[in-house]
Amino acid sequence: MEGLQHRTVNVNGINMHIAEMGEGPLILFIHGFPDLWFSWRHQIKALASLGYRCVAPDLRGYGDTDVPASPTAYTSLHVVGDLVGLLDEIAGDQEKVFVVGHDWGAMTAWSLSLYRPERIRALVNISVPFTPRNPKRKPLDTLRAVYGDDYYICRFQETGNIEAEFEQIGTARVLKEFLTYRNPAPLYLPKGKGFGHAIDSPMKLPSWLSEEECDYYASKYEKTGFTGGLNYYRNLDLNWELTAPWTGAKVNVPVKFIVGDLDLTYNAPGAKDYIHQGGLKRDVPFLEDVVVIQGAGHFLHQERPDEINKHIYDFFNKF
Amino acid sequence: MEGVVHRTVEVNGIKMHVAEKGEGPVVLFLHGFPELWYSWRHQILDLASRGYHAVAPDLRGYGDTEAPPSISSYNCLHIVGDLVALIDSLGVQQVFLVAHDWGAIIGWYLCMFRPDRVKAYVCLSVPFLRRDPNVRTVDGMRAMYGDDYYICRFQKPGEMEAQMAEVGTEYVLKNNLTNRTPGPPIFPKGEFGTGFNPDMPDTLPSWLTQDDLDYFVSKFNKTGFTGSLNYYRNFNSNWELTSPWSGVQIKVPVKFITGDLDSVYTSLNLKEYIHGGGFKEDVPNLEEVIVLKGVSHFNNQEAPQEINAHIYDFINKFSPHAHAAAKTT
Repeated sequence: MEGLQHRTVNVNGINMHIAEMGEGPLILFIHGFPDLWFSWRHQIKALASLGYRCVAPDLRGYGDTDVPASPTAYTSLHVVGDLVGLLDEIAGDQEKVFVVGHDWGAMTAWSLSLYRPERIRALVNISVPFTPRNPKRKPLDTLRAVYGDDYYICRFQETGNIEAEFEQIGTARVLKEFLTYRNPAPLYLPKGKGFGHAIDSPMKLPSWLSEEECDYYASKYEKTGFTGGLNYYRNLDLNWELTAPWTGAKVNVPVKFIVGDLDLTYNAPGAKDYIHQGGLKRDVPFLEDVVVIQGAGHFLHQERPDEINKHIYDFFNKF
Repeated sequence: MEGVVHRTVEVNGIKMHVAEKGEGPVVLFLHGFPELWYSWRHQILDLASRGYHAVAPDLRGYGDTEAPPSISSYNCLHIVGDLVALIDSLGVQQVFLVAHDWGAIIGWYLCMFRPDRVKAYVCLSVPFLRRDPNVRTVDGMRAMYGDDYYICRFQKPGEMEAQMAEVGTEYVLKNNLTNRTPGPPIFPKGEFGTGFNPDMPDTLPSWLTQDDLDYFVSKFNKTGFTGSLNYYRNFNSNWELTSPWSGVQIKVPVKFITGDLDSVYTSLNLKEYIHGGGFKEDVPNLEEVIVLKGVSHFNNQEAPQEINAHIYDFINKFSPHAHAAAKTT
């Protein structure tokens, strides 16, 4: 991509790879799982041309950023610490920045909003709504009770387990399965059954995802493996334990929330109610807009880039 | 103690013992190491008589509060989590915070994580400890003072407990409470020995009665010192987990009070930090710095009248209606 710069910044004890383009107010793009800075290729280009400085890191555990060995080095404290360190390093003069998050990146953005609200001017979060901490119940207990042990998050827990299965299926194929997933139902990965069809069954890529783009993803994940990304899930309960101070805390930054109506996060039990019936607004008092994109799946910003770009621009332009 | 109510509150998965007196705006008192709610006995009575609701817990690992077995259950996020749950249980949005020693360290974290819950902070002895992104906390202390600096000696699980057991609970507590030697406490090799206080007196100072000491001893005989030592064992973990707040400013209004004989004031380059501008840079609403002459570390116990007056004068600025409430007691 012309004008796009890649560099490595040393932050919070790790080497972080970032992609950067444009000049102006900073937008920090935070990817999810299993993803990369590359997820934001359309947004970076568009928003840079509209007068923003776009910065998209590979988060710790991903791509060309360090993959720390310790499984407990992936709490929200670590990940947000990286990003605050990054902002201090590359935008020390900008007290407040714009943030866009997707999937795990949206969860990280919610955490960043709780920990350092004074650093955020406005937030566009995609796919994953805020989840207030339930002081009485750990996340894994809830997920197991609601969905059972074959639920993907439960299957991700034991170190090495799902990695071995992914290896059987093949890195490139696993990534394609995730990127193209459009089933609104919860994702189950029963042992030995993969994604529910033969691993050599034909897979037609959607119009918004090319083989070259898949190759880029595969090359990075072949290098790092999936463990780094999976470690985020393995810290769900530890995050719960460590975030006791924010029980009942509200997200006090201006937010626009966007989700596709086929996204499995949107179709999870209770999600629509929470998003539309006042729960999200109660917990995020400066929630300004909720947008549901018809016929769109989880990787919304890749699937419908023009619409998402416009939503981001229209929102941030207000500030 | 007259009128002090004791109860147990379920907070953040533990049972917390709390001592309370009075009605009005809540003043939350956080003790340090190795202490108890009882360290605040003078402040509880005074603030309650002046129209405040004094609340003094035993922190996690201490006294009649639960002491989870795992060292990793004692990082700042756990302790602050306990306190946020405690504040919630009191049904108030904000508290006045008064904290000393380790309680003050936790107090700074509370102000960092949930500034919305603290109206004003009277901080005793331990100023804000700025996080150095390049140096882990204990590593920095070890580099400055060596392996026998007390904080370094507290690191290895079980080791200091065994050394303390050799001299006994009463000796340890008396040694610490009566210390008037400035400078970093360096312990003799391989034993507790002279501990914090090479000039430990035979008789107790006027501000510490045998009954007071007996109360502390009875509680620490029950719990041992592991819970309290575990706080120190999480210094580096706290450093790692608080990277999101590197360079943060604490916006809560603060009054800081110490004594010129306090070993904290006279080590770790803190005098320079406190008076040389660093403290004010990190805490822009630092309103007052008080250094009490001839007073050592446990200033809330040693100089209670001064401390009571300083606390009341400061917090009263933020809640003038307490004047009216005081008339009714």
